[in-house]
Amino acid sequence: MATLEDSFLADLDELSDNEAELDENDGDDGKEEEDIDMDMADLESLNYDDLDTVSKLQKSQRYIDIMQKVEEALGKDSDGAEKGIVLEDDPEYKLIVDCNQLSVDIENEIAIVHSFIRDKYKLKFQELESLVHHPIDYARVVKKIGNETDLTLVDLEGLLPSAIIMVVSVTALTTKGSPLPEDVLQKVLEACDRALDLDSARKKVFDFVESKMGSIAPNLSAIVGSAVAAKLMGTAGGLSALAKMPACNVQVLGHKRKNLAGFSSATSQTRVGYLEQTEIFQSTPPGLRARASRLVAAKSTLAARVDATRGDPLGKNGKALREEIRKKIEKWQEPPPARQPKPLPVPDSEPKKRRGGRRLRKMKERYAVTDMRKLANRMAFGTPEESSLGDGLGEGYGMLGQAGSNRLRVSSVPSKLKINAKVAKKLKERQYAGGATTSGLTSSLAFTPVQGIELCNPQQALGLGSGTQSTYFSESGTFSKLKKI
Amino acid sequence: MSSYLLKTLTKKEEIDRIIRDTIDEVLVLRFGRCTDAVCLHHDDILAKSATDVSKFAKIALVDVDSEDVQVYVKYFDITLFPSTIFFFNAHHMKLDSGTADHTKWVGAFHIKQDFIDVVEEIYRGAMKGKMIVQCPVPPERIPKYQLLYKDV
Repeated sequence: MATLEDSFLADLDELSDNEAELDENDGDDGKEEEDIDMDMADLESLNYDDLDTVSKLQKSQRYIDIMQKVEEALGKDSDGAEKGIVLEDDPEYKLIVDCNQLSVDIENEIAIVHSFIRDKYKLKFQELESLVHHPIDYARVVKKIGNETDLTLVDLEGLLPSAIIMVVSVTALTTKGSPLPEDVLQKVLEACDRALDLDSARKKVFDFVESKMGSIAPNLSAIVGSAVAAKLMGTAGGLSALAKMPACNVQVLGHKRKNLAGFSSATSQTRVGYLEQTEIFQSTPPGLRARASRLVAAKSTLAARVDATRGDPLGKNGKALREEIRKKIEKWQEPPPARQPKPLPVPDSEPKKRRGGRRLRKMKERYAVTDMRKLANRMAFGTPEESSLGDGLGEGYGMLGQAGSNRLRVSSVPSKLKINAKVAKKLKERQYAGGATTSGLTSSLAFTPVQGIELCNPQQALGLGSGTQSTYFSESGTFSKLKKI
Repeated sequence: MSSYLLKTLTKKEEIDRIIRDTIDEVLVLRFGRCTDAVCLHHDDILAKSATDVSKFAKIALVDVDSEDVQVYVKYFDITLFPSTIFFFNAHHMKLDSGTADHTKWVGAFHIKQDFIDVVEEIYRGAMKGKMIVQCPVPPERIPKYQLLYKDV
């Protein structure tokens, strides 16, 4: 569009700050939808002398149109809701959408004017900017103080809380600033007026939207309140857009990333946007706020969906949802039920829990079967086993001490254990039979007086008798096992 | 005092019913008067441990002054009050506590834990099939008394 191109060219010209171009700028103000571009251009220019180069919104056509409509609508009473019309076609709805956009723009504008005032007023009273943060309050205070040096003559009651007034007065005594020249002062006051005008305009728009919100989106406003509902709708870009969003997105609509560099982000609330301003959220205790925000976001999304389809024009659904939310939050705050004393468990009903672990394994190792024992238990096939007392008596050695294995040796230390009576007898027999210690002069022949030569068993003399005689069936044998009853 | 926590039985049918109906739980019947001081101490301990042993025992008080109950008093040979008799599945459980009479516990328990130990021991023995169990209470806490047999 030709006008747009012209306005862009005009922006480029404005970058060089020239008083002569002021008149041209006034003429340019009749353009639409350029506020944002122009603001960006203005921010880039560092020195500007005039307010109008900075803030153009009030002069723009769009602004004037919408404000006019708002005034009209505020003036007349709302006519009966036309249920037949699709929401998007309703002229009131369109106005609401425009108003939302405009309110955002007005806020930006106020910020710009505030920085303008601040820059000019720095020469007079530098510290005021850090003491009074809110732009509108700052504008009011500046207007009140004007060019005064002595703050005791200035009455700041009602503008600021008394603590801040005190601080401001004290700081004013030590400020380095000097009174402003007349024309600068004029400009500053003009800017303050502009800021206050913008603020009141914003309020008007706001009130209008709030009043209409009840008919546009009754259910949503029943839950979150009309102010927040208007904001949500504005940021989402319409009611149907809001309805299409998932609840997690609705939860963070309007979240401002306020983390200044170097400041901790631990205290800033995560993931809460406009919903932070709802009454429900403010009245929940801080510990439950995260859960509450999720709950409210979910239910308000449902309400928005109902409203988008105009399913419930009276807002009953919304009220029911709000009641539900309230009940849930109350339930979360209930104390837990008191502890009942537990009865003892039935004896021997739970088997003993055997624990495992390294310690237990180490303890068990002390009683485990050793390698030596394992080898002794094993036997070679086909070869008779060696034993401690030899010939099958005593402990068997198994694979222990075999030629092949060079690990374990068997030493011939005599065992200190007591030998069984039977085993002892056998040993003696063997010893006698196999021993090389029998004197060569002894003979097996015995000379008896009666029968002459008699061949008798020499072992019998020793009491070893015939090995074949069994002890079990012997008549002279005693009881082998006696048990005391 | 603890009678509102524990059931008090006054009739023979009630006693019969409760002995029959307590299945797989130790039934503790206290024979005594609710006015006697020792009985009160005993009842207090019984009442306090009632919830603790509730999973494997049931406790009831028998007032020894009523007429119906005299049959039982004679049957169990109860002369000193309070006397406590243990049942399990309608079997009379005996308790060897080093005293002369194994069929009952005479006197009050000194501490709650003693009573709970006795009940647990009876339960374990009964589940194994025993009719008599050894008392786990150390002898200094077992009330001593003398049995007079025909005033001898």
